[in-house]
Amino acid sequence: MNDAAADPLDDELAKARSGERAALGVLVRAHQRSVYSLALRMLGTRDLAEDLTQEVFMQLNGNLRSIDSNRHLHFWLRQVTSNRAIDQLRRRARVPLTSLEEESELFSQEEGSDPMLQRHMQALLAELSPQARAVLLLRYQEDLDPPEIARTLDMPLNTVKSHLKRSLESMREKTAGMLPARCEDSPP
Amino acid sequence: MRKYTLTLCIALLAPALSWAASGPKLNIPSFAGLAQKASDSVTITVDPAMLGMAARFLDSNDPQDAATKDILNGLQGIYVRSYTFDHDSAYSQADIDAVRSQLTAPGWNRLVETRSRKTHADVDIYIMVDQGKAVGLAIIASEPREFTIVNIVGAIDLDKLHKLEGKFGVPKLDIDTSKPAPPPKK
Amino acid sequence: MSQDIEPRDDIESRMRTALRPVTPRQAFSQELLARVLVDPAAQSKPRFFAATRVRPLAWWLTASLAASLVLAVGVHQHLQQQRLQQSGLEARREVMKALRVTSEKLNLAYEAVKSQSTSLQDEESGA
Repeated sequence: MNDAAADPLDDELAKARSGERAALGVLVRAHQRSVYSLALRMLGTRDLAEDLTQEVFMQLNGNLRSIDSNRHLHFWLRQVTSNRAIDQLRRRARVPLTSLEEESELFSQEEGSDPMLQRHMQALLAELSPQARAVLLLRYQEDLDPPEIARTLDMPLNTVKSHLKRSLESMREKTAGMLPARCEDSPP
Repeated sequence: MRKYTLTLCIALLAPALSWAASGPKLNIPSFAGLAQKASDSVTITVDPAMLGMAARFLDSNDPQDAATKDILNGLQGIYVRSYTFDHDSAYSQADIDAVRSQLTAPGWNRLVETRSRKTHADVDIYIMVDQGKAVGLAIIASEPREFTIVNIVGAIDLDKLHKLEGKFGVPKLDIDTSKPAPPPKK
Repeated sequence: MSQDIEPRDDIESRMRTALRPVTPRQAFSQELLARVLVDPAAQSKPRFFAATRVRPLAWWLTASLAASLVLAVGVHQHLQQQRLQQSGLEARREVMKALRVTSEKLNLAYEAVKSQSTSLQDEESGA
């Protein structure tokens, strides 16, 4: 079984590389949700996320020829989005531009979502360092395994693992009072 | 406490009408040397034509766009210069003074002056008032590695500015005296 | 130990649920597509032109020129419309950015005022 051969977006990528703009449109549509979500949760405001999403796809224009498969494209998009977001957060670390709570409505539109939980998770994410935030998002939003995260962020595997461990511990502590009984020991 | 301080400032500023000398638009230097040294610089010049064009591309059905549109209505220009440096003291006080000296002209009044010992961030907010209405706003923010000048020209409705809260992270400055002060956060 | 594992699993599944990708605004998606597809860098040289350059047939060049002339007016109008839209979106973006910087600096002042008033209150209550 060959996943790469089965990916219909590989054909679209080939067409886009040869100048077919419609194919480029298909690729943008296919990947914009992932890029935007990553940007939104990294940066916390819709405006910044939209700016970053646009920058990433504009950068893709100049790099299309160096990308050889849809899988490679997805990797490239995650990598560029994460790195650019981390850079932005480093520059603006002191002042949170908009509290994530204020943006909570952005995250509550999805079907079956729990707005309270999303808001809480967002607030907790905002407390993490940019790198730790990127690691968590790649793990739980993008469903990458630690080695893939390490490659995406160009980070040692052990660092990825320790970010995951520490962040989860911190999140578990901070959500202990909020999460329902499943997380708690039996009542006294 | 801050509610009263800022409300008092606004109340005191309202009668200060003699601003005609220089107008609310500041003459911001090009800062070409600083732009070269800066690791990140933001230069935004939004003139009336651009404001009109931007307003046409704001979606009235979107709450954030609608609030922004409301604020733009009556504005004549927004000018921003912001420079971020990799090292401390990359810019001189003279750079800031070139702008600050213009704010001593009649009509301009300092609304807020903050000096943070923790972040070493100094922020001065000036406002120009005509017939009880703000017609110009200037912000000078200087930090060890960053300095920013914002100049907003036009009929700045403080109520509308207040509406900006939560949309771009604008904090509650308690400038609206018609509302009771929010309860203190614990 | 089992008590340790259960919350870990719980938080991980909750993270996955909470961090499901979100869909951008439709208006933004359209704007994004328009910008990416209009950007000259996006337009890699189509193979068609590459082939044409080496083709020696003069009549083909003439036909191309004629076709270009016929299309010119339409294309010009279309591009003008696109440019107008680009300028509008650019203006919107600049305004948003300007307001964002403004809000950031107001926030800085607010934080300083808040911390000053907090320390004053602390001093008063301490006294």
